[in-house]
Amino acid sequence: MPNQLNNALTLFFSLLVEAIPFLLLGVTFSSILLLFVNEQRLVAAMPRNPLLGALAGSLVGFLFPVCECGNVPVARRLLMQQAPASVAVGFLLAAPTINPIVIWATWTAFRDQPEIVVLRVLFSLIIATLIGWVFSVQKDLRPLLQPSLTRLMPEPQPQLAMAGGVSSPLLRSGTYLMQGSGQIVSLEATATYGLPLPNPVKKPWSAKLRLLLENIIQEFRELGAILVLGSAIAAFVQVAIPREVVLSLGQGPVTSIVAMMVLAWVVSICSTVDSFFALSFASTFTSGSLLAFLVFGPMIDLKNISLLLTVFKPRAILYLFGLAAQLTFVLTLLINLYLG
Amino acid sequence: MANRRRSRYVPWADILDLLALLAWALVLLKYWLTGQLNILLHPDYMWLSNAASLFLLLVVFLRSFRLVQSTRAIPAAIANPRHFTLLPPSFSSLILLAVAVFGLTYTPRPFASDTALQRGITDTLTMTRSQPRQFRLDNQPEDRSVVDWVRTINVYPEPDAYTDQAVDVSGFVIYPPDWPDNYLMVSRFVLTCCAADAYPVGLPVKLSGDRAAYAPDSWIDVNGKMITETLADRRQVVIESTSLTEIPEPENPYEY
Repeated sequence: MPNQLNNALTLFFSLLVEAIPFLLLGVTFSSILLLFVNEQRLVAAMPRNPLLGALAGSLVGFLFPVCECGNVPVARRLLMQQAPASVAVGFLLAAPTINPIVIWATWTAFRDQPEIVVLRVLFSLIIATLIGWVFSVQKDLRPLLQPSLTRLMPEPQPQLAMAGGVSSPLLRSGTYLMQGSGQIVSLEATATYGLPLPNPVKKPWSAKLRLLLENIIQEFRELGAILVLGSAIAAFVQVAIPREVVLSLGQGPVTSIVAMMVLAWVVSICSTVDSFFALSFASTFTSGSLLAFLVFGPMIDLKNISLLLTVFKPRAILYLFGLAAQLTFVLTLLINLYLG
Repeated sequence: MANRRRSRYVPWADILDLLALLAWALVLLKYWLTGQLNILLHPDYMWLSNAASLFLLLVVFLRSFRLVQSTRAIPAAIANPRHFTLLPPSFSSLILLAVAVFGLTYTPRPFASDTALQRGITDTLTMTRSQPRQFRLDNQPEDRSVVDWVRTINVYPEPDAYTDQAVDVSGFVIYPPDWPDNYLMVSRFVLTCCAADAYPVGLPVKLSGDRAAYAPDSWIDVNGKMITETLADRRQVVIESTSLTEIPEPENPYEY
């Protein structure tokens, strides 16, 4: 029993020591993004077409090399910046995988199986784009988001709120501002629009640095505490469930995928290093199941469910989880049956 | 009014934050300087943890500098409008601080034989795969480590191919169930990234006498030669030991 406790603690600290540098990298990138990148412009540049928006959101990860510990705060801020649901959800699901550091790490691990690298990127893109597309049907995401976040979000733009209703926003009651480009913005919307982030570009450097520091500490505190709780749960489950039980499921084309998805969910390993973890199963598990691990793990696992709860209500996480799990399962099963 | 509230409330929260960050910087620094990081991480990733400790120290330094200096009010209204916390902030700081303080006092222990058995040491020969980066064909048999042997055998599994080759390996002792009393397994955990993915590999050792002298989890250095035997219904390579010495647990117990 002392041994079990010891193992759990070693696992716990090993997960933390491994994840904290990436978390720091994540919150630092996210804070730099907050202060030095004009998110409004980035969000404005995103295509409004739901499918293209989801694809673009999925690819934005390339600009922000953060793993799943770091992408949640970025996605949260994209939502606050009124990014369309398709963009934010696409980013949330794909960013941990579709970024240069992760692709490079996967390539290092699977040099002799380049198809794993290519398919990991491809499947993550397909799944994130599809789910982003699905979420775009919900024009106003706020019922799915945590109240603490929606309080900081501006009212939905009139034209979004009026889906199926009157075509011109000017026909609604209220006060409107005519912008230079001919855009019409509700005065209620401007009252809050962008308020969380007054245009950062105009601040002096010292103020920027101060805010950067504040933000790093604030996000590290919040996400770090949640990471601690998640790692504690992950360590406990890993010690409590004999890995043999998990592994014994891993031979057939279907059971191996299910086993690896469960393992991905339980182990909660950071996407930047999960390909090395998967590598140690490469000879006993089907290629499809390894892919399932690499595609599904970064999207949703035990650790980042607690992070996701800072953005979404449980119901929305259940949708994300269900869709991601099913799509991963179907795509990787195709690999097992037709390419394996 | 605002100033009065600030002087009552803000410093405590800030100090707690700084203490939590400082404690984590010290934890990472401690694991780095004492070499205990070896137990937790693959060497390839240690620089990340080390850099993180320095980065945290820098943040703490800059922030405390500000705190001491800031008689002028920090525009908290700008820094904190997005207060989207799942947990109360001071609770988060306390969790971080408490775990870090525990981390400062806790010495991580490498995994032992029970974990190896639980993680399926019997499957090890099929569980590993060759990693070209570390796989050398031209090495002398006696230079191979446990994991080198396992990888070599994995590539070419016929036991007779290794008969009479010299063996000199070290690792910890496991008593696999169902093995006779004069056999034990010399094993190592292999790390690909961190302790969370450590998996065991091992080689069977045939002793001239009873294995009781070598307790499970003790560290041994085995000299001998390879033979082929059928053990637990499987035909496999076995080290026939000529000398077996107990050694202290190495500072870095893993192989990569």
